[in-house]
Amino acid sequence: MRHQVSLRIGPVGFRVGSAWRAPVAALAALYAGYPAPEDGIADFTVRLEPTRPWRRWTRPSIAIRGDFELPDAAPMALAHGLLAAEMGMNLQMALGQRFWLLLHAATVEKDGRALILTGESGAGKSTLAALLGERGWRLMGDEFALLDPASGRLHAFPRAISLKNGAIDVMAAEVDAARFGPLLEGTPKGAIRHLRPNAEAIRRMDEPARPALLLFPRFGQAAAARAVGQAETFMRLTQASTNYVALGRAGFDALTRLVATPAAAIDYPDTATALDLVEALWTGASEWRAAA
Amino acid sequence: MSAPEEPEAKGFVASRRTVLALGAVAASTVVTVRPALAQTAGSIMACEIPVPGPHAAGSYIASDGTTVPPGTPGAAPPLSRPLTGEEAKVLLRGSTPPGVSPQAAQAYANYIRRLQAGMSGFTCYASLQMPR
Amino acid sequence: MAAPRYIAEPAETLAVARLDGLCALFHEPSGATHIVAPPAPEILDALREGAADAATLLERLAARFEVEDEAGADAIAARLAELEAAGLVRRA
Repeated sequence: MRHQVSLRIGPVGFRVGSAWRAPVAALAALYAGYPAPEDGIADFTVRLEPTRPWRRWTRPSIAIRGDFELPDAAPMALAHGLLAAEMGMNLQMALGQRFWLLLHAATVEKDGRALILTGESGAGKSTLAALLGERGWRLMGDEFALLDPASGRLHAFPRAISLKNGAIDVMAAEVDAARFGPLLEGTPKGAIRHLRPNAEAIRRMDEPARPALLLFPRFGQAAAARAVGQAETFMRLTQASTNYVALGRAGFDALTRLVATPAAAIDYPDTATALDLVEALWTGASEWRAAA
Repeated sequence: MSAPEEPEAKGFVASRRTVLALGAVAASTVVTVRPALAQTAGSIMACEIPVPGPHAAGSYIASDGTTVPPGTPGAAPPLSRPLTGEEAKVLLRGSTPPGVSPQAAQAYANYIRRLQAGMSGFTCYASLQMPR
Repeated sequence: MAAPRYIAEPAETLAVARLDGLCALFHEPSGATHIVAPPAPEILDALREGAADAATLLERLAARFEVEDEAGADAIAARLAELEAAGLVRRA
């Protein structure tokens, strides 16, 4: 394709090609400082193509193509090209990943142990993870958690954090403006802005971590926390995984082993409360481990 | 596999055996995991449903949602552009969007409900069904 | 009409994980995962002694456990229907 960029995010290499220069330029700028794929070989290819040949110039319209595609995907405007590239990478992982068990989750790490935040879209997982990443935790990822079925360890996949609407302002107050991608308005999900993880997250992207606490956050309720049993956790995680079924026995073993990790559901009315709850539960989980 | 409850008096010679409840006749004791691809892929991108799909381009939609030859009496015309996920949800709720007759709305809704795996628009429909 | 007799899927086809009081089962031939609550796992075990109908299973279970319920064979029949729908048992 005319324009392309290759980059490695954790253990996965991507090549993103595009009929237009702008999306590739925006992607390269957003991922400044990221390594190239190992041996220059990408695991997945994404291609941003015109929906019809003349749509390369007239009211440019992007079809997201690649090694794996969803035929029902709505085309995207050229102004949202960076978002199209990100969605394309998400799609390759969701449909094509067969080695790692994928969980729709945000993960942060401290002392070699991972905190996994999982649950419905819109619960605020990305924002919480981004904030924790600026408060003494290392961000491992905000969209996908990669679980090694053989070892049970989580591997980092630190993509640019996708912030929506109000969350953009929250993070803009916290971090250097240079880490942000362009403001994209009028997307199917409202206003979106991407935030590059900090230097530590990029530098340490090849360090795995042991799962230590699973949290199911829910926004908009009075502060509360309750333990979640293993069977319920297992069931919820099968729904949070894009490739549990495809991995067969390995997926079953990986997930049944993962649910030995303590799990809790937390409700929170605002992010400050959420951060307090997270720290309190993390300390609690450490104490259970120390006592065991 | 061992039974669910341990005997209470472990220190004694067990003359009491483990209790097993059989469950109410109407109870559900087996839950099968259903794949969640549609939900997670659907949360990843906006989707659309062409009515009818490319396999039946130009066909009209009968009130039961099947495709029929153009001009069939009582059938709704094909849509000039694909439905967005939001528009599909409106139709599936039974509402009539502006510019469409109630009969046509019902025909389109039934067409969507008849979509099967492999047909254009199916993963979009499936992702609309998943609880968010 | 004689009550149907069932056979369980062989133990080798199932991977089992205990999850606080429930069992997660992975059925290799179908690739399906099921979460089952007692007495489903106990019924599968009892069926491995040989094909049986609901009444026979009730006897086998009563021999191993203190069985609580009045509903007895009807409850077992309901459990068997669920297990059959999930592909974990089939008619002999």
